[in-house]
Amino acid sequence: MRNNRSLVTTVVGVILTAIMLFPLYWMINVSLTQPTELRKDPPNLFPVNPNFEGYTRVLGEQLPYLGTSLLIGLGTVAVTLVLSAPAAYALAKLRPRGGTTLSFVLLTAQMIPGIIMAMGFYLIFNSWGILDSVGGLILADSTLAVPFGVLIFTAFMSGIPDDLIAAAKIDGAGAWRTFRSIVLPVSRNSVVTVSLFTFLWAWSDFIFASTLDRGGDLQPITMGIYRYIGNNTQDWNAIMATAVVASIPAAVLLVVAQRYVAAGVTAGAIKD
Amino acid sequence: MSVIKTVDRSTARGSAREAASASMDAASRPLRDKRRGQGAKAQLVAWAFLAPVVVYLVLFYAYPLYRNLDLSFRDYTLRSFIDGTADFVGFDNYVEVLTSSTFGPAILNTAVFTLVSIAVQFVIGLALAVFFFRKFPLSSTLRALFLVPWLLPLLVSASVWAWMLNSDSGVINSLLGAVGVPQINWLTSPQWAMVSVLIANIWIGIPFNLVLLYSGLQNIPDEVYEAAALDGANAWQVFRRITFPLLRPVSAITLLLGLVYTLKVFDIIWIMTRGGPGNSSTTLAIWSYRLGFGSGSPELSPAAAVANLLILLAFAFGIVYIRLQSRMARA
Amino acid sequence: MQYSERNIVITTTHRVRAGAALLLATAFVGTLAACSTPTPGGDTAGGSYTLWDPYPDRDASSTWAKAIDACAADLGITIERNSGNTGDTVKDMTTAAANLPDIAMVDNPKVSTLADAGLLTTAAENGLDVSNIEPNILSAGEIDDDVYGVPVGANTLGLYYNPAVLEAAGVDIASVTDYASLTAALEKIVASGKKGITFSAVGTEEGSFQFLPWFWGAGADLTELDSSEAEAALQLWTDWVTKGYAPNSVISNTQGTSWDEFLTGDFGFAENGSWFKSAADDAGYLSIQVPGIDGGAAPAPTGGEFITIPVQKDTSRYATSTKIVECLSDGSAGADALGYVAPTADGQAAQLAADSSLEFWIGAVGDAKPRTADNLGISYGVISEQLYTAVQNALSGAASPADALKDAQAAAAEKLK
Repeated sequence: MRNNRSLVTTVVGVILTAIMLFPLYWMINVSLTQPTELRKDPPNLFPVNPNFEGYTRVLGEQLPYLGTSLLIGLGTVAVTLVLSAPAAYALAKLRPRGGTTLSFVLLTAQMIPGIIMAMGFYLIFNSWGILDSVGGLILADSTLAVPFGVLIFTAFMSGIPDDLIAAAKIDGAGAWRTFRSIVLPVSRNSVVTVSLFTFLWAWSDFIFASTLDRGGDLQPITMGIYRYIGNNTQDWNAIMATAVVASIPAAVLLVVAQRYVAAGVTAGAIKD
Repeated sequence: MSVIKTVDRSTARGSAREAASASMDAASRPLRDKRRGQGAKAQLVAWAFLAPVVVYLVLFYAYPLYRNLDLSFRDYTLRSFIDGTADFVGFDNYVEVLTSSTFGPAILNTAVFTLVSIAVQFVIGLALAVFFFRKFPLSSTLRALFLVPWLLPLLVSASVWAWMLNSDSGVINSLLGAVGVPQINWLTSPQWAMVSVLIANIWIGIPFNLVLLYSGLQNIPDEVYEAAALDGANAWQVFRRITFPLLRPVSAITLLLGLVYTLKVFDIIWIMTRGGPGNSSTTLAIWSYRLGFGSGSPELSPAAAVANLLILLAFAFGIVYIRLQSRMARA
Repeated sequence: MQYSERNIVITTTHRVRAGAALLLATAFVGTLAACSTPTPGGDTAGGSYTLWDPYPDRDASSTWAKAIDACAADLGITIERNSGNTGDTVKDMTTAAANLPDIAMVDNPKVSTLADAGLLTTAAENGLDVSNIEPNILSAGEIDDDVYGVPVGANTLGLYYNPAVLEAAGVDIASVTDYASLTAALEKIVASGKKGITFSAVGTEEGSFQFLPWFWGAGADLTELDSSEAEAALQLWTDWVTKGYAPNSVISNTQGTSWDEFLTGDFGFAENGSWFKSAADDAGYLSIQVPGIDGGAAPAPTGGEFITIPVQKDTSRYATSTKIVECLSDGSAGADALGYVAPTADGQAAQLAADSSLEFWIGAVGDAKPRTADNLGISYGVISEQLYTAVQNALSGAASPADALKDAQAAAAEKLK
């Protein structure tokens, strides 16, 4: 009886997932459609006459862009973790005066629209000489994630029992030692969640890439797509193929990391 | 506080009550003094942890914000970017924006877009979180797959939705047509343009809500559910009386973040409808970009003014949230 | 805090540390690798010059890139090419105002905007020789007798048609001479089960561009958007959409999307540009000029990018920059690479000699008119925005053509005060 119910639930789950992912299927469909059938009315539900030229172009041209996106993604994760985890520890456990104000400022910081940030960054990066560089983009993309990271880490670290911290203090550990050896290891789940959000936001960023890395030798995949958008024409097979190819590493990452995503952000550090 | 507790426990374990309280007094006095002396040091340590983020905030958020304020209080033309001269005009740009005929539609569209988006995303995200919480075979894989829409660049997601919602060659209309629904001009009619961008935005926002609400569900201890089962509560009662109230803090932060992020939404609407036709899907974010870069005659100062109004709006909601949060904490 | 828990803590610490170290190392290496981007406008012998163009779809192996390389080789310099999306040109140039490239290719209606901002130099300042450029193509870059750039080539709009669809519907192309006969032809095509005409009425400059032949062909003027002639033109388009002779998707079509619709073979007519000539030849499509309201050919707008020389701090760079510009605009190498008609009479003659079927488009460009003509200059941008907004409102049913145009004229007049 229980098995039947589980099976029905699984089927429902699959149907829901299929509905949610239908646009992705459509993306694959368009990427394989012949140019003369792109705007057919009504459209083909399956790629009846598949056209692989888009993929040929993409696999030949876009791999460097994918590599750069990966680099930027990982770099952004590193910068975000390094900045947000210690700050969240302080806000959650060290009770700094003015901590609430800082939290509020972090919340407000996320309200600034991207184009304004991008224009401000252009001026800053220009004077620092880091325009058109991967490092600059990493810094810019981290602004998408740091406030959010602090928020999530703070929420999680507040849930770490004070006994744990007190015990470390009695053992003679200072704040940094406590952070490194006790708090961080126990925050593994929120580290993974923050890393995931950060990576995905950096991976799909466009506004910073287009304003700050217009001319660089290394550009992320969101700029790579523009190779297929000319001033009067667009090559939709290639654009959609790029999207499909760009989705694969991130999809793999998601399925692999699902175990940790499953474990949750605000889950208790120690189960009684 | 926990240190005092430890001290309490260890001394109370000992002899008679008077002796205990006397030694407690004696023991806690040097500790109290130590704490006061270490108060300043503790603050320094705390702020040392916070220093990198503070520097980061000043450099990367305060500066763009300042530039934007400057842009909005002066009359910037493209020429000003070259020769640096821009007259100070006080609130003129704000007056121009507030009295423009686009202001009303933009505010209304922003309200509708934001509120409907976060409400529907939240409800669907919560329903899915509860659904996936049941641990059936494949549940974790399916849940991970639900996050896939998130990893598409917005240019691509918006373009795919624009394809699917095309009035003539879109698959949505052909599927609807197969069941007898007449052609809906999703992206090109003033009535449906807003609905189209809402659908796309909700689709993109579901993963975010799902992840946060799911982890909130995991934070609810099993004992609570066991107790409810013992009392004979059914699934709906459990949800309404236990799950939902316990989810309140996570729901609040999810809704607030959703609000802040949705107010900023730009790419989806721009790529699908450019705010059109006319102003029917123009939000404040779209209007700001259109003023600054979207037309042949850039008006950067009014664009900055609109953006600042947007930030003010988000700020106001942030304050509402803080008030609600302190009220919840006091309750 | 038991022994086993401490073990877990220690092992996780190591794993977290290792992971973090790996991430940091990757980021560090990546940053080092990326920090070696060359700075623009370096002073090496022979010189390095930067060129911005809006053709990200033409990569290093394209004929355009090769044309640039050839000019660089001729002049003994290096030219660094940097492509961005054409819609972002004004934004990119504005953000980079302190650091402009040596050469910027700008879509012709935007030239006056950037010139007025003081971002571009005039021919008088940089020493460019524009004497052999065809006047009707050059005038888009002229403001008050100052010339701000040279066209790399020009394109214009025409009416492509699918002979198979027309034949099946019993339409003789020779009968299509004015608005009324075109509408009648569309009616016949739709009656035969196909679709009538596709074009682009999108809410961007492309939409205005596509509407202008009909607008001008009806005798309307851009300084008076609410004239009865303008209303007639907009009524033509609106009627086509309401009667189903043109699909609803024209409201969101770019010219590229409209061409994709035409390629399905379901349409009789498509208004599109000369850059699709070779695609049309491959598919067997032919073209005529857009008809005027009462006959004759309607004036179509010129398109195509201008090669401009933005302001530089080191004015000695202009000498070489002008040589680069001349190299790209002389003859037909640049124009051919981009699929445009050459900007000089000699270049056009060379193109005709190489391919006689270009006669139609060379003639069409000769008859075409720049959008910023009639001394509109920077006002064009403002007017164009109101024009495409009016078209969007009328076609989507939000307003009648008369009302939409009235609002447009009022808004334009208000902004141009």
